Amino acid sequence: MQDLLYFLQQLINGLTIGSAYALIAIGYTMVYGIIGMINFAHGEIYMIGAYTALITITGLASLGVAWLPLILIVALICAVLVSSSMGWAVERVAYRPVRGRHRLIPLISAIGMSIFLQNYVHLAQGSRNIGFPALIQGGFQFGDPDSFQTSISYMQITIFITTLICMTALSLFISRSRIGRACRAVSQDLGMANLLGIDTNRIISATFIIGASLAAVAGLLLGMYYGSVDPLFGFIAGLKAFTAAVLGGIGSIPGAMLGGLILGVSESMTSGYLSGEYKDVVSFGLLILILLFKPTGLLGKPEVEKI
Amino acid sequence: MRTSVKKLAAAVGASVAVMAAGQVAAEIKIGIAGPMTGPVAQYGDMQFSGARMAIEQINANGGVDGEMLEAVEVDDVCDPKQAVTVANRLVNEGVQYVVGHLCSSSTQPASDIYEDEGVLMITPASTSPDITERGYELVFRTIGLDSMQGPVAGQHIASLNPERVAIVHDKQQYGEGIATAVRDTLQAAGVEIAMFEGITAGDKDFSSLITKMKQADVDYVYYGGYHPELGLILRQARQADLDAVFMGPEGVGNKDINTIAGDAAEGLLVTLPPSFDQKEENQALVQAFNDKGEDPSGPFVLTSYTAVQLIADGIAQAGSDDPMEVAAALRANSFNTPIGTVQYDDKGDMRSFEFVVYEWHSDGSKTPVN
Repeated sequence: MQDLLYFLQQLINGLTIGSAYALIAIGYTMVYGIIGMINFAHGEIYMIGAYTALITITGLASLGVAWLPLILIVALICAVLVSSSMGWAVERVAYRPVRGRHRLIPLISAIGMSIFLQNYVHLAQGSRNIGFPALIQGGFQFGDPDSFQTSISYMQITIFITTLICMTALSLFISRSRIGRACRAVSQDLGMANLLGIDTNRIISATFIIGASLAAVAGLLLGMYYGSVDPLFGFIAGLKAFTAAVLGGIGSIPGAMLGGLILGVSESMTSGYLSGEYKDVVSFGLLILILLFKPTGLLGKPEVEKI
Repeated sequence: MRTSVKKLAAAVGASVAVMAAGQVAAEIKIGIAGPMTGPVAQYGDMQFSGARMAIEQINANGGVDGEMLEAVEVDDVCDPKQAVTVANRLVNEGVQYVVGHLCSSSTQPASDIYEDEGVLMITPASTSPDITERGYELVFRTIGLDSMQGPVAGQHIASLNPERVAIVHDKQQYGEGIATAVRDTLQAAGVEIAMFEGITAGDKDFSSLITKMKQADVDYVYYGGYHPELGLILRQARQADLDAVFMGPEGVGNKDINTIAGDAAEGLLVTLPPSFDQKEENQALVQAFNDKGEDPSGPFVLTSYTAVQLIADGIAQAGSDDPMEVAAALRANSFNTPIGTVQYDDKGDMRSFEFVVYEWHSDGSKTPVN
């Protein structure tokens, strides 16, 4: 019974982190699906989302606003607005001018953007870790109170539910809306979509905005869950989310979700049953294994050579 | 064409060298190397503020044998790669004395360069024993060693009759070194070590680690490393209802841990150098810091002050500004400093240095435990 509770607790820990990885991974996978480039500045967009949320929360608190749902909603809206305009601007400034060139050029532009944004936040906010106020506290406990108890905190529940809502909304948006349909068309064949009268520039901008918004949501959630932010906040998370996207099959949205969850759970199981030291070894080892046996990722479609 | 470019370069190089030499003759340059930016910059602030104060005061009193001290400040971000870069830069600028670096993992590679280039280095903060283990002649410190601090922490935990202790470290030279010293002390005292595990510096999610501690039912946790990670561990442990007492080395003992951990920092145990700013004989100096609006209570402020003072005293004692002779003078004499009487052994370690256990509070203050 004890062992089962322990396993459940590690599973909950893993799924929490995994769903946040999935939110960030969507940004990588959608951009890759449409213009075939890796947006390495995406981790920084997520970090900026977390900072914006923190600044908003602190600002509201100093204005005397104490009603929690209001604080969270305003923080969420601000984070999404700032991050998505940042995502849009990054695309306009750094990627659109070099689109269609050799593959390496947008990649280098993206790495440059990532360094720029990181250092911008260093300058603007300082390099220290800043603590997030603990807004959502408490949780449910299962099991015998005298021995090991599995607990699921309200914060973890918030992360699951928000992720679920975002993912459902995104799936509906992609499958039902006009822009979603255009997104799918552009990802299948950019040149052809252009010929058929789709404003591809607008669709590409929309993709960046959607990815950045989800990253901002993840930034708010993980900032509160972990408890602090710093300018390097986005680097590791971006790397992990990128791994999740590749694991699930880059370019595939359900793949990014699956990849995020698998990565999160494998990390928490490794730290839970082996040692935290092997956490990254196992997750990146898993990536190598999957790429060896299924180079397109778990749910990726095999690329057909176009003639 | 090519040879003329080379000649030109040689001429420029020579004139730069002449200019640099001219500057050295006029004043004594003291390099101050530590993190101005990055996650542990607050310790760097302590170091820079202490060293600057010493330089100001020495210059106000007429310098060292009439020569003024000049600070050359560089930022190593507590990153070993950066440390090597800035060490080379200091050497190129003709600096012969360095106060720094702060993090042991930076001090170690930088000290190789200083020793080779004949630069005398005094670290005010690096506690890893390895730094002075290599028989270097120009490496000193104004702080104790992990091998002194670890046993103090270990003995304190052992005296509290723990049932099961978890030891966690950040896999860096400083954190792992001190965690190992604590483990050895606890094992010698017959305490059960439930887990000994590393995390990655920069990690944010410790939920799995905390679940494991809960499963192992530990009542004491020792963390070897710095405050950004321990702050998060404390906070996430509080969220997960882990009921254990945490303890850490001086790398966690600064007020930033409160902004990260909030109330969860209450009751944290920290081994720190004794509060030199509380000593009677340092009150004039403390006043000087207060007048500048700076806080002298950080663990590395007065150790950095002392490092500068030792360089000045060493030069005066040796009657020469050759680092080798100054090093010999530092080893041969004892010095009266704000951190007490300093006497060096052959390795460049202080013959005695005391660590004290403090209890940390959620408002950032601390009280001595014993």
